[in-house]
Amino acid sequence: MSSPDKNRQDRDDIPPGATLREHVYDGIEEYDQRLPNWWLWTLYITIIFSALYWIVWYTFRAVPSDEERVTAAMQEIEARRFAMVGEIDDDTLWAMSRNPNVIASGHTVYRDQCAFCHGDDLGGGMGGGLPLDDGVWKWGHAPVDIYSVVRDGSPDPTKGMQAWERELGPRRVAEVTAYILSYHDPENMETAQDSPGRASER
Amino acid sequence: MAKTASQAKRPNLDSVTTINQDGSRFFLHPSDARGRFVVARRFVAILLIVIYAGLPWVHINGQPAVFLDLFSRRFHLFGITFAAQEMWLAFFFITGLAFLLFFTTALFGRLWCGWACPQTVFLEHVYRRVERWIEGDAPARRQLDAAALSGNKVFKRILKHGVFILFSGAIAHLFLAYFVSIPQLYAWMTSSPREQFGAFSFMAVSTGILYFNFAWFREQLCIVICPYGRLQSALIDEHTVNVAYDERRGEPRGKPGTEGAGDCIDCNRCVQVCPTGIDIRQGLQLECVACTACIDACDEIMDKVKRPRGLIRYASEEALEGKPTRFLRTRTVVYGLFMLAGVAVMLFSFSRVQPFEATVSRMTGQPYFVTDDVIRNQFQIRLVNKRNEPAAFRVYLEGAPAGMQLAGWGADAMQLAPFEERTRPLILVQPREDYTGRARLEIVVESGDGDRSLRRRAEFVGPDPRVFQ
Repeated sequence: MSSPDKNRQDRDDIPPGATLREHVYDGIEEYDQRLPNWWLWTLYITIIFSALYWIVWYTFRAVPSDEERVTAAMQEIEARRFAMVGEIDDDTLWAMSRNPNVIASGHTVYRDQCAFCHGDDLGGGMGGGLPLDDGVWKWGHAPVDIYSVVRDGSPDPTKGMQAWERELGPRRVAEVTAYILSYHDPENMETAQDSPGRASER
Repeated sequence: MAKTASQAKRPNLDSVTTINQDGSRFFLHPSDARGRFVVARRFVAILLIVIYAGLPWVHINGQPAVFLDLFSRRFHLFGITFAAQEMWLAFFFITGLAFLLFFTTALFGRLWCGWACPQTVFLEHVYRRVERWIEGDAPARRQLDAAALSGNKVFKRILKHGVFILFSGAIAHLFLAYFVSIPQLYAWMTSSPREQFGAFSFMAVSTGILYFNFAWFREQLCIVICPYGRLQSALIDEHTVNVAYDERRGEPRGKPGTEGAGDCIDCNRCVQVCPTGIDIRQGLQLECVACTACIDACDEIMDKVKRPRGLIRYASEEALEGKPTRFLRTRTVVYGLFMLAGVAVMLFSFSRVQPFEATVSRMTGQPYFVTDDVIRNQFQIRLVNKRNEPAAFRVYLEGAPAGMQLAGWGADAMQLAPFEERTRPLILVQPREDYTGRARLEIVVESGDGDRSLRRRAEFVGPDPRVFQ
């Protein structure tokens, strides 16, 4: 770097009105030209934006933070889930089990997810699921008992029935329960056997 | 007034013509150029606009020719559908495209800028035409700029900006149609903005940006913002064909009949027509978008003064010095090879894309279950049909130990609708008497016609086999 020439600004090869920056690198000099005004305005606007952002975000907290939004969304999901579960009782499940549309969609879920273990005709299957057509209910014969086994999985974790709610959602859990109930009727169900003792069962 | 005084502004190499000393904008009014390049460029521009506008409307294989469906993460390109998982292919496509651009730049300079860039296409062939139609030619536009506010000026300005906003809105809609498809766009357009607030604000903001860009910002984008223009000095060399002024033929400048003068009569037409405000006779400059307006302007003058055309023409620096232009150079070969490598890898990877995807994972809960007669492992298989047509799949085991069976999966193929994704349990059972310990096997998913298959490794686990003895 050579030392700047004191009289550099007065040279004739510089256009009128232009000034040179102080530095010279390997003989390369630089004009001190003004930036375009529109360019400067992009800077001013970001400064204004940052001030507004600070006030809105930190001073007044006018916009919910990501954490608050996630919490709110989770609460809404929980609320919906509880609303769904709240509506589910024996009578509604029985009513659903007599509705052809519910049975149809429940059948689809059953065919895709359940038939591998419980058999195409509910008669139990090679995958190790219990028969669902024999009027014997291991974890309770009430429709809500069946519903909670589908939703939360078997109370006995060594048996392989997983909790399906996360995968299917509450609506389809209810539909597939209704599909199973469509093979039964309330009178017979009342007299059905609960068999919590069948520990040797598959 | 500063504006009228600066009409005599002469372009120089020390500062940007369109930025005044005080940082304010010097708004250019390029004169109309006439000639073969203008006609050819207008033809190319109309063709490109027809293509841009037509792609979302033309359907190939039941989907728009270009439909980047962000909502369902499917990308339809000319009849082929890509899933989001295939995004990595875009890398080879984009790098191939970049080297194609480098390659053409090394050979012919900024062909892209002058002929095909949407900024030029829409600015020169849509917005400037509207301006020309409403406000008149360059001197008339300068006069209107300088004129005091009058009914006529207000009328012309409102008309011009109204049409600009209309066109900007149309381009913004077209742009959005690439991402949401025409029917969805139409559904949004016919519903209240309050119902589609997100889409509506996106549209309003993009229209605003396009309007600002084409009505006021214009060449500033090319000069200050566009990175491609700034790469030029690294991509070109003395053999690159650019829009150039033949100094040997043109200098010294002088009026026709002047003793010893070159062919340039210093009429300044090339400066007047330049949309970025440079004087091409000062050599290649970063502002030049190679639009060829100066070639046409100069040719017209040369015809008038009965001198040969081409004082400004497509020529390399070497050609201007009377030497031959070499197209085969290290630079073009290297860029060309990179481009071909990109194309080859792209074709290879595109041909390797599977039309379906399968993932196998263990079900939640215990890793294995032991019953009176069998040992059981529970998996889930997720099948994704990535194509726009129904597909059938068969699932079977390979390398499975004796007696192992896939419960519930018959020989029947599983049918998946176009783009359907389905998760199914996949239960492996093995009789106790056959069990000899852990085993590795492959779960094979085969497409209906049997020509494609995916293999997923799985491990069958169980207790120590000695417990059964």
